[in-house]
Amino acid sequence: MRRAILAAIVLVTGLLVLLDLMVVNPSLDDAAGAVNELLVLLAAAAAVGGGVTLVAFHARNLAARDGDSSGSIVLLVGMAAILLAGLRPGSSGSSDPAVLWLVAALLAPIAASVFALLFVFLLRAFRRGFALRVRETSLMAGAAALVMVLLLPIGGQAGDWLASGAGWMRDVPLAGVFRGLLIGIGILVAVSAARSLLALDGDDE
Amino acid sequence: MTSSQQPLVTAERLASLRRAAPVLLLLLVLVAASLVSAGTHGLRLASPDRSRVDQLRLAIGNLPDDALVLIACDADLGTYPEIRATTRVAIDDLAAHQARLAIVSFTPEGRAIAAAERDRISRGGRVEPPADLGFVAGAEAGLVRSVASIVPAAAEGTIADAIRQRGGGIGAFDMVLIVSGSDISARSWVEQVGSRLPDLPLISIAPTFLAPELEPYLRTGQLTALLATLREGIAYTAAVSAGSPSSPGPTPGPLPMLIGMLAAIGALAEAAFRRLVRRRGRPPRNGRLPS
Repeated sequence: MRRAILAAIVLVTGLLVLLDLMVVNPSLDDAAGAVNELLVLLAAAAAVGGGVTLVAFHARNLAARDGDSSGSIVLLVGMAAILLAGLRPGSSGSSDPAVLWLVAALLAPIAASVFALLFVFLLRAFRRGFALRVRETSLMAGAAALVMVLLLPIGGQAGDWLASGAGWMRDVPLAGVFRGLLIGIGILVAVSAARSLLALDGDDE
Repeated sequence: MTSSQQPLVTAERLASLRRAAPVLLLLLVLVAASLVSAGTHGLRLASPDRSRVDQLRLAIGNLPDDALVLIACDADLGTYPEIRATTRVAIDDLAAHQARLAIVSFTPEGRAIAAAERDRISRGGRVEPPADLGFVAGAEAGLVRSVASIVPAAAEGTIADAIRQRGGGIGAFDMVLIVSGSDISARSWVEQVGSRLPDLPLISIAPTFLAPELEPYLRTGQLTALLATLREGIAYTAAVSAGSPSSPGPTPGPLPMLIGMLAAIGALAEAAFRRLVRRRGRPPRNGRLPS
């Protein structure tokens, strides 16, 4: 019964939003707008709930001296610093100079550095991959090396050839595989959503 | 009395230093290369294919007088450095075409970047900072809501008033520049806004990892223009700064990029070669030696 009610809510909501896209009708527009407002509220509640759960989890870790204490301390202090800068009396929120400083001087360089470290870690992962799964790693490394050669920043005629090769690689094989993946994922999601809505999954009975 | 203290230089520490030496050396070389990069001949980072750059410049050039342009800044902190220079040049380019700019974000990271960019433009004083439409909660649901209403009640100024006069939603704008990230990208805009406002031109700047996802939207015309690789961004920066007295600011040079790529190719080849040598040296599985 509970499942049927949930399925009915999802079905009606989805149909309402779809109809609003296809039919111009003020009443439908208002109803779809109300559903959308509810979604926004739900997303905000989920974000706040996620933040509170994260704080509770790390506070519990610290109290029980369980897990990575220094990591928990850094996370809680970081959250407190941002919240204090953005919510203290007289603050202008995300445009406050203290928040801007925290973002520009700490958050952005740290995030960019972590991404830059991927270069080193990826090479190490390849090295380990060669020891574990030679065939798959060789294929991946070969493709990566080929793309890198095509993207080498060389000028002149050779550079033009390499760049057109890189463009072909991106537009034909890579885009084809990516589109195939997206279409496959889309079909799978649609089928599993339909099965859930129509209560066709036997083990849920 | 004997001291139980460990010596400062142990064999283990020396070995770990030796292992880290190539990485440190590579870092030093990259730093040196980035310092001398400006004067390197024979290297070119900018994409030789100018079609994407021309598409974007045409879209900006076709804007009507006093056009209202929305900058949707939803980049990630991690990938923003790749598109930062291009985004800044695009904002300058729009301002040079007398566009009236407003900025909005649908992700918290995007909001942090947008606020920092507004602050940078204010401090620079060359162009007027975009009107701040703030952060809209709810991700894609917020995007849909903004089609009807995007101006916060507290927003003041001539641009906010102009948006309200034209209906107050995203449809009030003549074009949207989407600074894409992983959570909200040009794909979300095509799906949620493009389907509701099909005549609104959408242009996007995106990091390379989003290129395969966004390319099809450019081909179908759902995106008017797209710069989705570093090389296209550099080509656009060069094209805009060629006709502008202001500097585009620091952009990545080709030499450090080349050294990094060659080091990566070398490391891959070395790992593969080492594995090959080990396999050759290993006795066969059935215990018999090859004849």
